[in-house]
Amino acid sequence: MMDGQRTPFQAYRYLLPALVLEAGFVFAPLALSLFYSVHRVRYYQLGDFNGVQNYLDVLSHRLFLNSFLVTCSFSLMALALTFAVGFGLALFLNRDTSGSILLRTIVLLPYVIAMLVGSMLLKWIFSTDAGLVPLAAAWFNITSPTILADPDYAMAAMVANGIWRDSAFAMVMLLAGLRSIPPNLILAARIDGAGSFMIFRRIMLPLLRPAILITLIRLLLHFANVLTFPLILTGGGPNNATETLALRIFRIGFEDFDLGKANAMAIVLCLFNIVAVILLLAVFRKTRGGQSL
Amino acid sequence: MAVLRSAPLRHLLRGLVSAVIVVAALFPIFWGLMTSLKPARDIVTFPPSLLPATVTLEHYATIFKAGALGFLLNSLLVSAGTVALCIGLGALAAYGLARFEFPGKRAVLVAIIAVMSIPVASLLIPTYTLIAEIGLVNTHVGLILVYSAYQLPIVIWILAAYYQSLPIELEWSAMMDGYSRFQALWKVVLPLSRPGLIAAGLFVVVFAWNDFVVAVTLLSSEDTRTLPIGIYNFLGFYGREWGPLLAASMVSTIPLLVIFVVLQRYFMAGMTNGSVKG
Repeated sequence: MMDGQRTPFQAYRYLLPALVLEAGFVFAPLALSLFYSVHRVRYYQLGDFNGVQNYLDVLSHRLFLNSFLVTCSFSLMALALTFAVGFGLALFLNRDTSGSILLRTIVLLPYVIAMLVGSMLLKWIFSTDAGLVPLAAAWFNITSPTILADPDYAMAAMVANGIWRDSAFAMVMLLAGLRSIPPNLILAARIDGAGSFMIFRRIMLPLLRPAILITLIRLLLHFANVLTFPLILTGGGPNNATETLALRIFRIGFEDFDLGKANAMAIVLCLFNIVAVILLLAVFRKTRGGQSL
Repeated sequence: MAVLRSAPLRHLLRGLVSAVIVVAALFPIFWGLMTSLKPARDIVTFPPSLLPATVTLEHYATIFKAGALGFLLNSLLVSAGTVALCIGLGALAAYGLARFEFPGKRAVLVAIIAVMSIPVASLLIPTYTLIAEIGLVNTHVGLILVYSAYQLPIVIWILAAYYQSLPIELEWSAMMDGYSRFQALWKVVLPLSRPGLIAAGLFVVVFAWNDFVVAVTLLSSEDTRTLPIGIYNFLGFYGREWGPLLAASMVSTIPLLVIFVVLQRYFMAGMTNGSVKG
């Protein structure tokens, strides 16, 4: 079916427009970013070459360490909890009754609506004005906390935002993994006398390994680069307690107007992402074994 | 464990868990909708009431007076432009991948997966730098080009998988009847690929309609604002006046939910397509 021999480059007639667009708006920006990151840039005016000075400046800034730690702790908490909830949902809804199909659709709604809107809805729920937090506090007989003004509660709110929105993503990915397990295998194990836990531990988990790895890496990439949650929900506050790396970059670029430093930091974040993507590709290669595409 | 074996208890437990899931997923959306329908003075009363005592559309009137219609139209325009460009370029590129072996194919596939996986937020400053350099800041064209570059990989991936599921003999017989290869794609393959096209289009629409972070960096003036940027500016303008803020959020959410609920089976297929199975 492949007529590659005759005209090996014929495929590029179809691919070229798409490749040009990607080169122009994904790869060229990265190259330009690299160029800007080694120059002085003030108020969008490109200045002199200054080597790695921008990198040294951003990496040694006291808020860099803060945002790095905030990003790490947020990512790890959100990753663990979102994955756990998503896995639970996938196991719970892994059947094709109309009830399960409806529930899957409902779980996906927080994922489908705009991130901005989702964070705004949660900001309203967590605000003192809405009256829900004071109401809950009165119920438990404790003094009502001002959630978004307390560093720990604000972080918890941001993690809750992640779980609320992204569990659906984990659920869908893991459901697809569960679907790919041949039912005969589970049936055979059951006939051999294996209990539910044994089947889960010895059959499902090993066969789900690729799906689990891909889900974890993609969630990690998503959380480590999160911008909308802190920007809308917490504003990075209180006192920078929820300022993630992506928000820090955004502020250096569009509040301090220092595109040199912002690009330097964007490159640092991109390097992290590239490492994660390489891991992802390695998982792909292992699982797909080069069939089909 | 013995308790769980009894069928009625199992059912009850399942029902309870289901109820918790529904409330957790939907309550924030429901609460936002209810709040947006309450008169301003009822919004901050304590204890809060779940349903509005009197229903009012005053907050919706407020935001439409403040330009929400323009933002809505901008969002429609940008979404439509992005879908057209993505499907146009994606349908072609996917065909190249699905039906040819060629030097560099592996590199193209790796690039597609990489662009699909790199989060948009880490590309914002580089993208802004480039768009400013070529003078497309604050234009819808610039926004459409950037959105398309981000969404094209997933479109190509979904469509290539779809093309591969179609029998190639159909194209052969079309070509025997005198069609060129390109005509065969246009007149035979594309009409058969409707489900794939819908799934891909849905992904693009959801992204373009919802995007906030790209638009907030690339757009600056009121007349180009898309809906999410309009809402973001309301957040600065209205501050703690939640009525208009939540009304604007609902204007963004409701059309999307309708589209999603109607077409959701395509969406789920697209989400896992190429991520786990391929």
